[in-house]
Amino acid sequence: MKNPFEVHDIQHLSPSTCNLFTSSLATFVMNKCLKKTSTVGPAAYRGTAVEDGVAHGLFNLDASLADCTKVALDKFNTLASFISGEKVDKERKAIPDMVEMGLRELRGYGVPSSAQGSVSLDIEGLLVPMIGYYDFEWEQHGMLTDLKTTHALPSKISQPHARQVALYRAARGDNLSARVSYVTPKKHATYALENAREHVEALGKIGLTIQRFLALSDDPMELASFVVPDTDSFYFNDPVSRQQAFEIWGI
Amino acid sequence: MAFGFNYESSGGDIIPIVKFDARAGRFFRIDRSDGVNNPVDITTGFKAVMDFENIEVGFINFPAGSAPEFRVAPIGQPMPENPGGKFRQGIRMMLKLGKDCGGDVREIASTAKAVLGAFDSCHTEYVAGAKANPGKLPVVALETTIPIVTQGRDEKGNAVKTTNYAPVFKIASWVDRPADLVFSPKNGGDATPAPVQAASTAPASPPSTGSTQVPPPAAAASSEDDFG
Repeated sequence: MKNPFEVHDIQHLSPSTCNLFTSSLATFVMNKCLKKTSTVGPAAYRGTAVEDGVAHGLFNLDASLADCTKVALDKFNTLASFISGEKVDKERKAIPDMVEMGLRELRGYGVPSSAQGSVSLDIEGLLVPMIGYYDFEWEQHGMLTDLKTTHALPSKISQPHARQVALYRAARGDNLSARVSYVTPKKHATYALENAREHVEALGKIGLTIQRFLALSDDPMELASFVVPDTDSFYFNDPVSRQQAFEIWGI
Repeated sequence: MAFGFNYESSGGDIIPIVKFDARAGRFFRIDRSDGVNNPVDITTGFKAVMDFENIEVGFINFPAGSAPEFRVAPIGQPMPENPGGKFRQGIRMMLKLGKDCGGDVREIASTAKAVLGAFDSCHTEYVAGAKANPGKLPVVALETTIPIVTQGRDEKGNAVKTTNYAPVFKIASWVDRPADLVFSPKNGGDATPAPVQAASTAPASPPSTGSTQVPPPAAAASSEDDFG
């Protein structure tokens, strides 16, 4: 039996790849099978930047808010150096407040024992490992959390985020308490993950579905012929992705 | 009533359960509403009055997706015959949860070796203390969980490690038997399947993700003594 992941040169899956498969199959085919990458927008850069700023403040508990904010803004400006516009300005403006909320939420845990740790989980029947990177772990408290930035505070953990931290927990140890920390410019909250095992199982089911989908054909263009993009979705906001979709699907 | 117990206060003839997930090292209370099972993690501050006086031992089968089968008898009586197959040595017991864990009467059953060993040790402690506490039951607290790593080989012959967690119990105090913790022997010591447990292995609805806000450890409130 051929390994469909090898055929399509995919070495591993991750929660974000699984989430992409569930939310935009066309983008999945475009990125993962046809290897046409999309650019991420300023919102993604904002998340990375805030995480850097908060990490600086967690590993240096004496660091001032100004220092942490500078770390975050420097990161954002580097990442967003080739883009501009209202959306970029909006995200840049939100960063100082988000860093402050993140530090308020997480400094109470003390210095993390590790950050950006890689995890890998073998799922029965899945021919590639499921990998990921958790944001912060406090081994001394038996817990880990992923930091999420958003402009509106959710009242519960989203399904994609639940699957993501459930993977970390399964890979790092089922005895860990897995959490998701959300920060907005004005609010912050950390929620405890429930039903971790079920969410890992869901991740496995999505992974196996991807495996079956890839096995339909060795030809990525044939896989593309099975799906149609929603070109109004934010996945195709950036002109390059929109053009690529037109070239692939003709719409 | 399926089991012949009399627990009207806990809702008709369905006995709610508590389970210890040895792979996770967590205690869960399985709440049931509108036909849906909702596991609630009660590991932190777990405490319960355990009816060791009427603990049942024998053989239990937890088939995936269907009701468990019990071949158990009260401790001290002859052990039921091992039906073989997927039946494994196990225990079943009633308990009353501490207020912080739910406060109601529940059943626990397990065949996990790591869990049986913990109950065995606690039962020994119960027997030793019962003489000095006539007519009373122990309030058992979860002190910690300890990882138990076993090594074996998978079907390809590769070395694999499996980690389970064993609960470590301690008897925190002794109390009079709670009024609602009433044991009724089951007919023939061979109980019919437990519908709640069966349903818990086959969830009928999407799992919740988590909406309980949690503070940093330093800000967490200390647990109270439920049973004073």
